[in-house]
Amino acid sequence: MLLYKGWLESRTRFLLSAATIAGLSALFVFMNRDARAAVTDRDVTYVQYLWSAIYKGYLRDIFVVVVLLLGMGGLGREQAYGTAGFTLTLPVSRWRHIVTRAAIGLVESTVIALLPAALLPLLSPVVNETYSWSLALHFAVLWAFGGAFIFSIGFLASVLFIGEYSAPIAGVAFLFAYSIVTDLPGVERYVIDIHDFMKATGPHGLSTLATITASAITLIAVAGRITAKGDF
Amino acid sequence: MLWYKAWRESRGRFLLTALVLTAFCLFAVLYEPYLQAGMRIPLPLHLSKGVHSEYIFNLIYSGQAKGLFALLVIFLGLGGLQRERSHNTAVFTLALPVSRLRIIGTQSALGIVELAVLALLPAVLLPALCPLIHQSFPVAEALHFSVLWFACGIVIYSFSFFLAVVTPGEYTAPVACYVLLMLHTVLAQWHPLKPYRLNLMWIMGEYRTMQWDTAHTMLLPPPLSWTVLWVLALISTAVFAGAIRVTARQDF
Repeated sequence: MLLYKGWLESRTRFLLSAATIAGLSALFVFMNRDARAAVTDRDVTYVQYLWSAIYKGYLRDIFVVVVLLLGMGGLGREQAYGTAGFTLTLPVSRWRHIVTRAAIGLVESTVIALLPAALLPLLSPVVNETYSWSLALHFAVLWAFGGAFIFSIGFLASVLFIGEYSAPIAGVAFLFAYSIVTDLPGVERYVIDIHDFMKATGPHGLSTLATITASAITLIAVAGRITAKGDF
Repeated sequence: MLWYKAWRESRGRFLLTALVLTAFCLFAVLYEPYLQAGMRIPLPLHLSKGVHSEYIFNLIYSGQAKGLFALLVIFLGLGGLQRERSHNTAVFTLALPVSRLRIIGTQSALGIVELAVLALLPAVLLPALCPLIHQSFPVAEALHFSVLWFACGIVIYSFSFFLAVVTPGEYTAPVACYVLLMLHTVLAQWHPLKPYRLNLMWIMGEYRTMQWDTAHTMLLPPPLSWTVLWVLALISTAVFAGAIRVTARQDF
C-alpha cells in the first residue's frame, strides 16, 4: 500500500520526466543533421554528437534536475498539507515510509536513466546511423548510479527544508556548489564529480560506483534518521 | 494586505534565490585569480582566457549564473490559487472581498518586483566587488544584462505561473516549466528557426553578439534591441492573461 501511495505522489513528475527524456532522445536522433553543428560547434561523428547532446549536455542537465525533483515530498511536505498525521497513523514505522519513498524514487530515476540507452540503438537505424548497445548500456549504468546520488541529495533536502519549494532551490544550490567545489584544483582528486562521472570523463570504475552507492545510502539514511526523530 | 500575503508566501523562495545568486557572484569575483589560474571553467564562446570582463561574461552573464537564475526563476513563479487549493486555503482567500484578478494580479506583480531585484543583483554586486580585486566592471554593461535577464526572466516566470495555475500537484509545474525551457532551446537550434534567435538563454547572455573594444581589453554588448524586449513583454503579458483567465473560470 505504501508503494502505491508513493507511486501516486510521484507518478506525474515521473511520467512527465520520462516522456521528456524519451522525446528529446528521439528528437536528437531525428534532428541530428540540423542539431549536430549547433550542439558541438565543429564537425563530429554521429556518436560524438550524441555524447555532446545527450550524455554531456542538454539531456544530462534535464536528467539531473528532474531526478532532483523526484526526491521532493515526504512527511515534511505532508505536514504542510495537514496529512502527515494520517500517514503516521498507518501501522508502519517511519523508517518504512522513508525506505519505500526512497525505493520508488530510485526505481523511477533508474528507469529514466535507461530510456536513452533503450532508444538510441533502436532509433539510430531509422536515420541510417548506428549506436552500439554496449555503449548505451555503459552510459545507462553511469546515469543510474549518478541519478541515485542526485536523488539522494534531493531526498535529504526535502527532509531538511520543509518550506514550500525551499527544498528544490536548496537542492539545486547545493548541487551547483558541489559541482564547482569538485572542479577546484586539489579537491578534484579526492571528491567524485558526479557530472564528470555521468559524462564518463571522470573516474567511473567499480570503486567509484561503490563510493557513489555508499554516499547515496548514507544521505538517505541521514534523511531517515532526521524523519524518525522529527515532530509532526 | 494582499501584497503582504503574497510576500509571506514567496519570501522564502525569493530570499533563498537572492542568497544563492549573491554567493555565486561573491565567489566568482573574489576567487577570480585562483579560478583563472587552474579551474576548468567552460567557455561558451571559446574565447581566449585572461581578460577580466571576459571572465565575468563567461561565468556570470553567459555562464553558470545565468543558468542558475533561469532555473530558480521557475520556482519563484509557482503560485496561484491552485496551489492554495491543495493546502485547503483557497476558499479562505476567495472569501476575501476582492476579485480573483486582484489576488492573482498582486501575486504576479510582486513576483515581477522580486524578479527585477534578482536581475539587478549582479549589476549591484559586480561593480561594487570588482575593485576589491583591483579590477572594474562597467555599470552600464551590468545594467544592460540586468535588462536582458529581467526581460527573459519575466517570460520564464510567466510560463511558470501559468503552469502552476493549470497543472495539479506541487512539483508538476516546475518540472513542466523546466522541460519547456530546455525544449525551446533545442527547437531554437532547428535549422529553419535558428536565424530568428528564439533561444531565451542566447538573448540573456548576448550569445555570439559580444564584441571586443578597440584595445581588446573589454567585451562589449551590442545596443539593446527594443523589438526583442517588446516581443518578450508581449509574450509574458499574453501568458499572464491566460493564467488570469483560467483562474477566473476554475472551480475551487
